[in-house]
Amino acid sequence: MILILSSNAEITTDAVIMWLNDLKKAYIRVHEDEFFEIKIINKKFFLESYRNRFFIDDISSVWYRRGGGLKFKRGQYHHEAVNQNMNEAHYWLEDYVIKKLEAKKHINKQSNSRLNKLWVLEEAQKAGLKVPRYFLAENTDDVIPGKMITKSFTENVILKSAYEHQDGMLYTAVVTQQEQGSFFPTFFQDKIEKEYEIRSFYLDGKIWSTAIMSQKDKQTETDHRKYNTAVPNRNVPYDLPLETGQKLNELFLALDINCGSADFIKGKDGQFYFLEINPLGQFLGLSAVCNYALDKEIALYL
Amino acid sequence: MRYFNLYSNILITKGANRILISDLQRNNSELQSLELYDIIEALKSHAIETLMGFYDEDSKPIVGQYLDFLVDKEYGFISTGDRDHSFPPLSLEYKDAGLVSDIFIACRDLARPRQLAPSIGNLAIKHMVIYCEQELAVADFLDLEISFSDSSVESIEIFAPCHAGINENYLQQLSEGARRIYSLVFYKCTTIQPETGDRYKFKVVFTSRHLKINACGKVDLKYFNTHLPKVLEAINHNSCLHKKIGIDINGDIRNCPAMPQRFGNIRDCSLEEALNHKAFKNYWNLTKDHIAVCKDCEFRNICTDCRAYTERTHINEAGLDNSKPLKCGYSPYTNQWEKWSENPLKQKAIRHYGLQELIKNEEA
Repeated sequence: MILILSSNAEITTDAVIMWLNDLKKAYIRVHEDEFFEIKIINKKFFLESYRNRFFIDDISSVWYRRGGGLKFKRGQYHHEAVNQNMNEAHYWLEDYVIKKLEAKKHINKQSNSRLNKLWVLEEAQKAGLKVPRYFLAENTDDVIPGKMITKSFTENVILKSAYEHQDGMLYTAVVTQQEQGSFFPTFFQDKIEKEYEIRSFYLDGKIWSTAIMSQKDKQTETDHRKYNTAVPNRNVPYDLPLETGQKLNELFLALDINCGSADFIKGKDGQFYFLEINPLGQFLGLSAVCNYALDKEIALYL
Repeated sequence: MRYFNLYSNILITKGANRILISDLQRNNSELQSLELYDIIEALKSHAIETLMGFYDEDSKPIVGQYLDFLVDKEYGFISTGDRDHSFPPLSLEYKDAGLVSDIFIACRDLARPRQLAPSIGNLAIKHMVIYCEQELAVADFLDLEISFSDSSVESIEIFAPCHAGINENYLQQLSEGARRIYSLVFYKCTTIQPETGDRYKFKVVFTSRHLKINACGKVDLKYFNTHLPKVLEAINHNSCLHKKIGIDINGDIRNCPAMPQRFGNIRDCSLEEALNHKAFKNYWNLTKDHIAVCKDCEFRNICTDCRAYTERTHINEAGLDNSKPLKCGYSPYTNQWEKWSENPLKQKAIRHYGLQELIKNEEA
């Protein structure tokens, strides 16, 4: 039995489930609003929510796709000391259940799904990947206008209310001029003259890459997500050099995540520059363009 | 040395006299000459400079223009020193979950599709087309939506007779409750109402014609579709019949409701049982590479095909009808589109299918 933890009506989850049905693999899909009670039946751990019930032992693999992961019901006790003690007991049972589930075959884990972009860049360098020179600063004293870019180091790049862009997306932008004052610590990175961009999907040691030929197009030159819908960038299947792939594999192992999308730039200098990893992003768009059927790959793996 | 690298999602289909270049990412196709085909082929094994060497001084600028055209359209790019080997070919395998993708149901009222909902869900069918003989009220549509609210069905198209009750209010109410209905066609209309544009959640078409099953199967430029999954399906399977199931007005289960062979009736046979019939999928792998005339046609990978109405001139070794579709007026040998119904060679087949009346009505 496969356990799927995802947000409701999430399209990638739906697509993978179509394949699980096709492959006749049984699964349990946990919704965001589901809270589980931990029970012991015949000395075995049993989880129960309003729509699902299962023994932990019956779960063969776990896919943490998105959302808050497995959530639990906790009792409320009138006496504060009792409440505190019971909360602690709940905590250790919950911790055990999550550890047990994460020890099974899985795709990503709820316990480390949040990736620190700054940490990833350091680990990438340790793995031998080339990373464009970067630093954090509170002013533009060391920033060379036109030669450096700035982007968000937060996980969520979609702003709830942004003034400048209608869709509220935080795009990568070139720094065009120096600023007078100081500001909140901001990420600056050398702008790489690029041949093209590469998006690599990683799953348990296997890599599927797509080249995004955005250089020809002024609108998408700095950030390919600023789509040009009239003539979309040419996207084609791509093979990362073996060595870069091996280093990427090492990076994923070091970060202890086994699925995600990595972004690279192939520079005009012929070098491959690592930019970042997104473990929870959407990948079925490029998968369809390249006929990779990554939804099927995930279903096969689980 | 410089090399031309053709992008892997550019598909070149060679016909008798022309080629079709299909951009499988940008979903468009264009016709080009065989001369360009030869140049593209030569560029696969030779450097640009070597290729130029094959041509005399007068022809070199023409080859140069072709090359500019290919780069300009972003059909490929030029690399120096060597070919760029990091661009592998696009896999042409067709990958789609589920045994059946589309169902067509002819029925008197919408009770039939509702009754079939469990099987449709079980087979994970995504697209449903319903041809209904009786006039429908808003509630009929909404009941149908409810029956499929928790199913695999993503899209529903309905053909129903026009009636006096269909007005703005009717469509507005329907639009509020519609989830999966994306297209409505009202036929036998006495007054033709204008198209509704994007006012509702679905597209609405009003036609005075009395639509019948035998009106299907036309091959025409306007039905051609450059879309990667459809092209991959056409390369590997029969683009008209693969993963399709149809139920005719009598409840007979067929691959396509216009095909002669029936595989049981819904009264006493489930869709699952019918699909297990050994002959149900006979035509699923008959690609246009093996159909008379189509195999020489540059449009074969973006075309629709039709196995229900054919010219009835060819039967292959497996006993399958691999004749050209009857309702195709195109010849890849002359590159002319002509009226299929007026072709003298097709008259015998037209009489066989009893299509004379349909042709008369369509021309009226």
